[in-house]
Amino acid sequence: MSEPIPAAAKSASQLNDELLSSLRPPSRSWWLLVSLLGLVVAWGLAAFTWQVSHGMYVTGKNRPVMWALYITGFVFWVGLSHSGTMVSAILRLSKANWRRPILRAAEAMTVFSISVAGLFPLIHLGRNWIFYYLIPYPNQRGLWPNFRSALLWDVTAITSYIIGSTLFLYLGMIPDLAVVRDRSTGWRHTLYSVLAMGWRGTASQWITYQKASTLMAALIIPVAVSVHSIVAWDFAVTVVPGWHSTIFPPYFVIGAILSGVAAVITLMIIIRKAFHLEEYLTPLHFDNMGKLLLVISLLWSYAYFVEVQTTWYAHEPIEWEVFSFMSSRYTPQLLLMLLGNAFLPIFCMCFKRLRRSIGVMLVVSLMVNVAMFIERFLIIVPSLSHKNMPFVWGSYTPSLVESSVNLGALAGFCLMYALFVKLFPIVALSDVRELEERQAGVRLGRTSLPSIAGKE
Amino acid sequence: MEMLGIFSEVESAARAAEALVRAGFTEAQIDSLTSVPYPDGVLVKRKRRSWFRWIALAGGLAGAASGFALAAGTAWVYPVQTGDKPIIALYPTAIVTFEVTMVSAIIGAMVGMFLEMGLPSLRKRPYYPAIAEGCIGISVTIHAGGDVVACGAGVKAEECVGISASLPAEEQRDLAEEIMREAGAMRVIVEELT
Amino acid sequence: MEKMTSPYKWGMVIDLDRCTGCGACVVACQAENNVGLSDKKEISEGRSMQWLRIERFWVGEYPDVRVRFLPVMCQHCHDAPCEPVCPVYASYHNPDGLNGQVYNRCVGTRYCGNNCPYAVRVFNFYPHEWPKPLDNQLSPDITVRSRGVMEKCSFCIQRIRRAKEDASGEGRLVRDNEVQPACAQTCPSEAMVFGNLADPHSRVARLARSPRRFKLLEHLGTHPSVCYLKGGGREHV
Repeated sequence: MSEPIPAAAKSASQLNDELLSSLRPPSRSWWLLVSLLGLVVAWGLAAFTWQVSHGMYVTGKNRPVMWALYITGFVFWVGLSHSGTMVSAILRLSKANWRRPILRAAEAMTVFSISVAGLFPLIHLGRNWIFYYLIPYPNQRGLWPNFRSALLWDVTAITSYIIGSTLFLYLGMIPDLAVVRDRSTGWRHTLYSVLAMGWRGTASQWITYQKASTLMAALIIPVAVSVHSIVAWDFAVTVVPGWHSTIFPPYFVIGAILSGVAAVITLMIIIRKAFHLEEYLTPLHFDNMGKLLLVISLLWSYAYFVEVQTTWYAHEPIEWEVFSFMSSRYTPQLLLMLLGNAFLPIFCMCFKRLRRSIGVMLVVSLMVNVAMFIERFLIIVPSLSHKNMPFVWGSYTPSLVESSVNLGALAGFCLMYALFVKLFPIVALSDVRELEERQAGVRLGRTSLPSIAGKE
Repeated sequence: MEMLGIFSEVESAARAAEALVRAGFTEAQIDSLTSVPYPDGVLVKRKRRSWFRWIALAGGLAGAASGFALAAGTAWVYPVQTGDKPIIALYPTAIVTFEVTMVSAIIGAMVGMFLEMGLPSLRKRPYYPAIAEGCIGISVTIHAGGDVVACGAGVKAEECVGISASLPAEEQRDLAEEIMREAGAMRVIVEELT
Repeated sequence: MEKMTSPYKWGMVIDLDRCTGCGACVVACQAENNVGLSDKKEISEGRSMQWLRIERFWVGEYPDVRVRFLPVMCQHCHDAPCEPVCPVYASYHNPDGLNGQVYNRCVGTRYCGNNCPYAVRVFNFYPHEWPKPLDNQLSPDITVRSRGVMEKCSFCIQRIRRAKEDASGEGRLVRDNEVQPACAQTCPSEAMVFGNLADPHSRVARLARSPRRFKLLEHLGTHPSVCYLKGGGREHV
């Protein structure tokens, strides 16, 4: 860390006021945003209702492309949900100090993106109204679902991850909920009191809490890795050419971390601007997130290069056919994907000046996620379009219904997030204040250096 | 009985804790209430070993059993031939068992943590909202009369009682209040004597 | 849990040297199995409902052009990739060697359709109707599928079931040629032969031992129950 100590150390009250600025009564622009998002969500819901009442023909799917934009959305949102886990859990376990202002935003993002992701398997069913056949419950017919199917692994994994990440978010919030409980009145006070479970901040409680945080961080990482590996196996365990690849699980996990880190950066920029947190989300934080983005982007590029190289070299007819169809029919999308996922992040994130520039980070992080959505699409649709029997080769164009539902999902995520920031502290309050308490200037030689009291 | 002294910053709170220890209260009787964690020894010293991890382990084991029952058990009671896969297949069983184990371990860790913290607390414990704004609370748990029990191996934290234990509860309370006010407490909150 | 065994192992042999590509089998299948009627719009969208398709390949340049026909239906693979991936067991393997599809269990995830390498599974994207008087043609032995359900060739399992019932009523096994799916029954050149592969004397078993035999996509290891014969003279066709 090479940041100077703040000239005037702020009082705890002042820190509270600034870090909790998102909890102030909502402004007009917030209401406008929420109304707009609500409209888009309603539009998406209307599109979905249209599909359920009319039939799957309202989508662009056909034989052979039976999975398309909905599954793209599913994989994309599961990927985004790796943001919180990877950023928060890994940084917690490595005790990196710059994690403190970022944690909450990342963890909240995880919960909302996995919730949105969990909707897509229900949306893409041909007979959505009997979705409960997928749930293992004892029934009088003695029927059980098929656990040999990768889709049931999906059900198990996503349920586990929703529960795990919600508990992880909640755990992180407990001390902060106590703080907002003490500062609020009325229905908010009741809400926070119930959620804070009577937390008083005794030394014993803090010790148990910190041990529990470490344990939860350690437990949630394998869950996150397994969730996206399972989603990858939806494709990798098939005999579809282009899908049947052993690199899919690690490749998907890497892609998810890339997607998640970029999304955390985007969110950090938005939150920083909206709630005037410039002093807490400093260029240092973006610098470090940028380095993380660089590493993950390099990993992703490596995984992609490796996969294409083996396809090209062995030149198995049907696998090569899938790849050349993809690169000829979807050339602009392929190029955009490579630009957003590989060239732009790798080039830009090598330079400190660019990493510390908020504008550059915003553009790069948004491009990464656009490219990741395209990447999911380019995995799913071209392989299905040109399977083993050339007589039934086909193609796919998204329909208005599918695009609307995906947009509605995005709006739903943003809406949930907007509601969250108004109700709960978006910055890990006690974490940031802990650092301020323990930070001090130590005179060494000719200058005064910042140091943190206590072992880390 | 618990009493709580509120201090405006760390140094006066630490002075109070130090004075209380010198007056004969044990470390186990003195606790700090803060909105941010302080390293061990800054205000109070804690020697407790955590046991909530056993609950997490128990959760994990229960999850492993249920995951296995779900994947292998349901396939065994409802066997349907699909492809060349055996009815009870290794990889699917392993995957589902793993997921259910992990989520149960996570739930167990949370439940265990709350149990160890004793939250939500059954009776109302003294608290002061200014603690959230940076004030430090020092709480003293007073036991009504009794013998001195030295804190050592085999003695639970709640049981070890210092030299002041020989005094009746009201005298202990007055002693503690005097010490805290001398150290600079802004307020002293005393729980009702039960 | 005992392993279910059966004296039957239904299979089919299609002689491509006899197939004229007339398409009568496709029509017969549609009539027998209450297959939804697809109009031009649906077919151009790639949503035809044919359980059995005649693949047509042109070979050579004018005036030396020839045509190859390949009737493709569900291959009833012994190691079917479509079966383990169904999350609700709507696709399963029955002891007779057939790949079964349980319409009322299907929730429509379409995973089976993706994983079928022969792309023989069709999905009900549209709700289908039979305008009068075509609804009189519907067979009562087989369900009419709602939208959102996967379906495919079943080797006319309703006919097999009927034949097995009749045979067990008489205390015997189903005889060779006693049961034929609609496509095999209709084929004017007798290119399609159906029967019990487990019976070495059945016509289908004898034809399946022919040196002209090949199976589709054998390298995938699906072990289909459908065998094709090709090579009667004009090899380059």
